[in-house]
Formats: sequence, structure tokens, C-alpha cells
Amino acid sequence: MTEPRKIGWSRPTPIVPSQSVAGRTLMLLIGIMTFLSCVTFGGVLLVQKSAVGWSADVGREVTIQIRPLDGEVLESNLRLAVSIAEGVPGVSSAHALTLEESERLLEPWLGAGLDLSDLAIPRLVVVRLADPNAADIARLEREISAISGASLETHAAWRVQLNTMAGTIVVSGILVLALILVATALAIVFATRGTMSTNREIVDVLHFIGASNRFIAGEFQGRFLMIGLRGGIVGGVAAILFFIFISAAMSTVMPEQSSAQLGVLFGQFSLGVAGLLGIVGVVLVIAGLTAITSRLTVRRFLSQIS
Amino acid sequence: MIAFENVGLRYGHGPEILKDLTFRIAPGSFHFLTGPSGSGKTSLLRLLLLSLKPSRGTISMFGEDVTNLERDRLLQMRRHIGIVFQEFRLLDHLTTFENVALPHRVRGQSEASYRANVQELLDWVGLGDKMDALPAVLSGGEKQRAAIARAVISKPDILLADEPTGNVDPELSERLLHLFDELNRMGTTIILATHELNLLRKFDYPRMLLEHGELTFHD
Repeated sequence: MTEPRKIGWSRPTPIVPSQSVAGRTLMLLIGIMTFLSCVTFGGVLLVQKSAVGWSADVGREVTIQIRPLDGEVLESNLRLAVSIAEGVPGVSSAHALTLEESERLLEPWLGAGLDLSDLAIPRLVVVRLADPNAADIARLEREISAISGASLETHAAWRVQLNTMAGTIVVSGILVLALILVATALAIVFATRGTMSTNREIVDVLHFIGASNRFIAGEFQGRFLMIGLRGGIVGGVAAILFFIFISAAMSTVMPEQSSAQLGVLFGQFSLGVAGLLGIVGVVLVIAGLTAITSRLTVRRFLSQIS
Repeated sequence: MIAFENVGLRYGHGPEILKDLTFRIAPGSFHFLTGPSGSGKTSLLRLLLLSLKPSRGTISMFGEDVTNLERDRLLQMRRHIGIVFQEFRLLDHLTTFENVALPHRVRGQSEASYRANVQELLDWVGLGDKMDALPAVLSGGEKQRAAIARAVISKPDILLADEPTGNVDPELSERLLHLFDELNRMGTTIILATHELNLLRKFDYPRMLLEHGELTFHD
């Protein structure tokens, strides 16, 4: 009689040997697909966050523009516009831009050291709204029209254009994501079929000893789930490193002023908690997609040969 | 236990490989299945293993018509049947113990529940000291004994063997036949396909002779 076999420490050898699955190639492919998905997702999130931010900022503000006209005292018109604006419901504050502030505003386009006192340029009153939905813009426009040379700019057309552009980018991003997922699924189908053909002997033996298709599919699915998870994690981590690198490059390689302007335009190149959760989500979706696609392919293969 | 009624088999639109097979196999019997190469022995064994459906006729096992069984029921029936192949068909990356224990494992049983049983069976077939060896280091006879142990570990009612001695020397063939003989004495119904005349002469079991797709019985 032989010594009793010890158990407990060692797990049984997997029925589907790991080296028989085209693991590394598939893992690399899934990693690349995950990276592309995460970068697309991050890009879309960035654009969407910036667009929402811009839209909200712009929506909380309207501008009264007063053109200098002969016979009109610009400063008194500015004061009148401020007092009219402050009397309108939903307005939190109104502030007439000083000449210095107007100079700073035009500095990026006309350069520094500009003296506007000699130029007949329009002056602006920035009106901040407490609640953009509750503000009576129609009344403000009506009352402002009593001031000669005054007009109201609500930025509505610009916001519509901005939202349309952001929406187009988001939809395009979702489409690209969907295409990447479809391409990933197709690659997994081919890899799984190849693996099943390579392991046909194992499948046959399992069938002969009474294994159900469900059991066999589970053995293969376990392998593919691990490959999907590993590939997904590699791609997800690479994407996070990519965003960290871009963010660091923006603040070090570019001049401070350009970096600040890009920040104003595109927001910061940091994903935030939502972005990180999104990347984790993409990794899980890719791993799940790998497991489900391989399982369906295996089940189909098994019912074809049964 | 096994009843064939007018069973015929053809692959696709080809000629009939097996023609009008009608026979009964009693429980606990031992039959040699013999005939020239290409006579359809393996096809008949595959019908008995329920891995092929006949083109016509009916097959009954354990009192149940198995000709058109649902997949789940087919699986349950197949668990009453063990199979041994000429080319062993052990999984090369699993140890002898793991290969023999495979039928338990695919049923979802824990190693603790079958460990002693597998060890006892490996001792019985003389592989107690080769439990952790991979098939690559086993001799032909050892591989076949491991394959037999795998086929009988779940105590099947029927054991099918397709040329089990085809890859071993005559002396070992005889020893393997004694193993089958012993299993038969314990109540297992055995159908063993072979065309080795020396075995047919030494072991006096009824023969099923398959020639040109037709089966005849010889006591």
C-alpha cells in the first residue's frame, strides 16, 4: 500500500493547460484594446467635463455692451446699466469693467501696454446670474434697450454651438469605444476557436468520461477570464500612466502661460475619481466581454462537435 | 442490458458501415469484438458509447431507448459507460493520479472525497508508486493501466475497450486481459475490440465478429 496522498496545499492542475491557450498574444491584444478604450473614454470625459464647465460658466453670465456714441456720457450709461441689471430678478451682481480690466481682456490679442483711453472701444458690464433659469433676461434686455448704444449678449448661440460640438465628440467617442469592443470580441472569437481546435483532444477525453458541455466551457472560460483580466489591467494601468504623463508634460514642457490657457480651454488633463472609476469599469467590461465571448464561442463549438 | 434492433450506420451520404445489427448483451458478460481493420469495430463502440447516433434502428440500454436522448440524459447514461482506447488518451499535463481522478473531478467532487478510492485503484493496477508521474515518463503498459483505471474509477456498468493491447507487447497484453477479466468478475459488462489472435485463443469469451458491416456471434 502506498503512502496516503497529501492534499490541501497544492491546487489541482488546471484541466486546460495554460500554455495551450494563445495567452500572451491574446493578453497583449486585449491590453492594447483596453488602452485604446481607456484613452478614448478619458478623452471623451475630458471634453464632456470641459464642455459642461464652459456651458455652466457662460450660462451664469450675460454681458451688456455699451458702444460710445457722440453726445452720450459713457461712464454714466455704465452706472445706469449696472443699476438696471441689479434691479432685475435672478441677478446676483453687475460689474462694469474698468479700462484696466478691458485692457487685460484684450491683452492676448493686442499685446501688453495698450492704452485704451484714446480708443473708442465699447465698454462691458458683466452681469452674474444667481439662477440662470429664474433670471428675467427678457426684462433686462427690454430695460437696457432704453440706454443708447447698449446691447445684451446672452452667449446663447455660442453655448448651442459648444454643446453641439461636445455632443458630437462624445457620440464619436462612444462609437469608437463600441467599435473597439466589437473588434475585441471578434479577436477573442478567433482566439477561442483556435484554442478549442488545439485542445480538441482534451475536449474529446472530457466528453468520453462524461463531462458536461457546461463543465468544459467553464474550464476554458476560467482561462480566458484570467487572460481578459490581466490584459485589461495592463491596458488600464498603461492608460492611467499615459494621462499622468500628458498632465506632467503639459505643466513642464509648455510655458506656464500657454499651459494655463490650455487649462482654461480643455480643463486639466487629470481624470479625477470619475475617470479612474471609468477606467476600472472599462477593464471590467473588457474582462467580462472576454469571458462571455469565449464562453459563447466554446458552447457553440461544443454543440457543433457533440 | 444492451439491445440493438436493426441498427444501421452511415457517415453522411456514404455507404452503410454497419448493417442491420440486431443483438442483445446480457449484464455481467464479456465479449470480444473482432474483425478485420476497417470493418466498423470503432464505429460500433462509438454507438455503444453514445457518441454516435445510428442512421436507422433503435438502441436500448438499461431498459431505455437511447437512440434520440436529450443531451442531459445522454450525459447521465454515458456516466454508466467506461472507455479505454488503444492510444491511451491520457492528458499529458496531468499526473497519473489526476488523470485517473478526472471522472470524479468533472462531476464536481472534492479531492478529499475520492482520494482514497483513486489510490486504492492505482495500487490495484500496480501504479501506486507512479501517482505523481506524468504520462510522458510512463511505459506503454503503465499508460494503458492508468487509462483502464480512469475508465473504471466511477464503477461503470459497461466497459468498452478499443484495441487496448494494440500498443503493448504480447506479455503485457495478457496481463492487461487478466485485469479486464478481474473487472468482469466484479460484475462489469465488457466489450473488448481486438484482432490479436493469441488473446482470442487464450481467453475463452464469446466473440462478436464484424465483417462487411454485418455482425455474427461465436461462442
